[in-house]
Amino acid sequence: MTLTDLHAGGKARIINTGQINELVQRRLLDLGIMEGSVVSIKRILPLGGPVAVEAKGQLIGIRRREAKMIQVEMA
Amino acid sequence: MNIALAGNPNTGKTSLFNTLTGSYEYVGNWTGVTVEKKVGVLKNKRGNLIDLPGIYSLNPLSRDEGVATHYLLYDDTSIILNIVDASQLERNLYLTIQLLEYGKPLVMGLNMIDVAKGRGVEIDDKLLAERLGCTVVPIVARTGKGCDVLAGKLSEQEERVNAPLVLDYGGNLEEAIARLTALLPADEKLPPGRWLALQFFEGNQLVKEMLTDYIPSSTLEGLYKETEHAVQSETKAKSMAHHIRKVRGNYIQALLACCVNDVEKIEYTLTDRIDNILTNKILGLPIFLLFAYLMFKLTFDWIGTPISDALDGFITGTLTDTLDGWLKAAGATEFIRALILQGIVAGVGGVIVFVPQIFILFFLISFIEDSGYMARVAMVMDKIMESIGLNGKAFIPMIIGFGCNVPGIMAARTIEQPKERLLTVILTPLMSCSARLTVYSLFVGAFFKQNQALIVLSLYLMGIILALTLAKLFSSTILKQQSSFFVIELPPYRIPQFRTLLKSTWEKGKGFVRKAGTFIFGGSVVIWLLTYAGPGGLNVEMNKSFLAMIGGVLAPILHPLGFGNWQAGAALLTGFLAKEVVVSTMNIIYAAPDLHTLQGVMADFFTPLSAYSFLAFILLYVPCLATVAVIRKETGSAKWTWFSVIYALVIAYIVSIIIYQGGRLLGLN
Repeated sequence: MTLTDLHAGGKARIINTGQINELVQRRLLDLGIMEGSVVSIKRILPLGGPVAVEAKGQLIGIRRREAKMIQVEMA
Repeated sequence: MNIALAGNPNTGKTSLFNTLTGSYEYVGNWTGVTVEKKVGVLKNKRGNLIDLPGIYSLNPLSRDEGVATHYLLYDDTSIILNIVDASQLERNLYLTIQLLEYGKPLVMGLNMIDVAKGRGVEIDDKLLAERLGCTVVPIVARTGKGCDVLAGKLSEQEERVNAPLVLDYGGNLEEAIARLTALLPADEKLPPGRWLALQFFEGNQLVKEMLTDYIPSSTLEGLYKETEHAVQSETKAKSMAHHIRKVRGNYIQALLACCVNDVEKIEYTLTDRIDNILTNKILGLPIFLLFAYLMFKLTFDWIGTPISDALDGFITGTLTDTLDGWLKAAGATEFIRALILQGIVAGVGGVIVFVPQIFILFFLISFIEDSGYMARVAMVMDKIMESIGLNGKAFIPMIIGFGCNVPGIMAARTIEQPKERLLTVILTPLMSCSARLTVYSLFVGAFFKQNQALIVLSLYLMGIILALTLAKLFSSTILKQQSSFFVIELPPYRIPQFRTLLKSTWEKGKGFVRKAGTFIFGGSVVIWLLTYAGPGGLNVEMNKSFLAMIGGVLAPILHPLGFGNWQAGAALLTGFLAKEVVVSTMNIIYAAPDLHTLQGVMADFFTPLSAYSFLAFILLYVPCLATVAVIRKETGSAKWTWFSVIYALVIAYIVSIIIYQGGRLLGLN
């Protein structure tokens, strides 16, 4: 399953970020978000807008398209 | 002694800078307000503090972040002051590790220790200092708590020599690091070889560029590929960067396990609740528009205009009378009296009158920045911005552009994609800045008394809509995109401190006051002289002056737009210096003693329709001199600078002609 399969408030562990754009991957890596991190979806903006992801006490906005490519498993 | 101040975005870096240096810099609560490195002198005069842009890592993604890495590579640093958000320790320490590997004495300001405590996080700062081999001082930068101790510790560092932090990155990578450092010259004044090697293997382009000065790039690339391969098969990591991140991450985990006591976990509950409303599915966008509308209401109707009116009364009444009295008493000639009263007082005073409105606007923009709402606006706007080939972050330079285009264009540095950044730079001038506001205020007061805020809002919206339309046009033609990029940190909401807001308003607005004292002053004198002199000599009738001749050349071209008189032509020409000079010029040309008379006189030259057409033209026609200079600097290209001037002129002409001729067809004239 992917990050976008979660409902707002749902928690999951990242298993693969390999599909997303390399720059996005690097920035997420800077923020400590990578394989093994536990994340939760905080907000989903309408009309295919970005999602707010919480990881390690920080709130990060990323595009829905990228979130769709992050594979996760239930934590 | 040079002290580099480095830290993650949103950690209170700029607040700390202000506390330690006593001077004031611009503070904002959204990622990337510090767009250039800023230097301040420490209060005890013992050294310089260099405020570097906020970074998550030394491996830069945007040009803004590159400034910090570039500084560490090429400039002379004695001490690093690393500000760390105690409530976000894990992430912040990632940068700290890289800074410790750099090997200069490091003092850590453990900021927001109060916030961390409130969240139930207790940090053993003494143990942390011991483990990392650096000095750690708990502080609260917003209130200044602990900052004296920190300043004292900085002075103590002068004589210290620090051994770099060494982590074990595993056999293959360690071997490659040794091989690379062996290739570096020993005598050069370079950063530590191990640090350079690590940054290189992590994929840091700036470091790679520096290394190619000493090592052939084919050797570098060969070594990189070989090592990547070896590390991948050794550790099963996806890439070398992932492996390095993991090693550092594990080190940080171990560190946190012994130094931090997490009592209870309260996640941003207040921020959650506010976000529920402000980034609400349905209400998010309307709420933003409501905020924008309130901003204009406050600036024009509720607070700004009454103060401006009072100021105008003072300048044209008491001040002018007093000055006139003094000049007469001093026996000044008629020429001097006219120069001072009709030239300088009218010209500069006409602009000064709008200072209250501009400061209120800057105050409100500062509030939005400091509160943390700005990052949400970027997120709410991302979908719309993406559809026109930009990303949500591009909206922030545009909002700052409402205050002044110059810092707006500079703020575009935080945009990671070069093409999105260029697009933002050339479109930000369409954002109606506060200087243009002075012209609107003058005209709406004369022609649209009932609907002042609405007319002004319509001009702002016109700028935004044109910018978005052109973004779509340019991004699908001359500036075709590579893949777009959007990741933004959403900081917790904070109630801005009034003191900080006042100072940051002054920081932004002082340039405007300075302009009034310098080239609006000079411009007023020159313009007045051009109206006073003509081919027929001095003290000629205004219509026979030099300015009338110059403006007259433009009049026929402007005729289809509804303002084909020499006065408008002259005002537009002088407006290139700075848009508010248009107001000065009009004050002088129409020789009006005060704002209300001027607005009355203007009714002879403009109709409401042609006035609106003129305002649209003012909004769009050409970025001011200072903006053109900053576009040149930021794009580094004469071609794109010319482009931004010429497309603006073309658009201005088209829009004004549509407004005026269209309006006439509809019978609005």
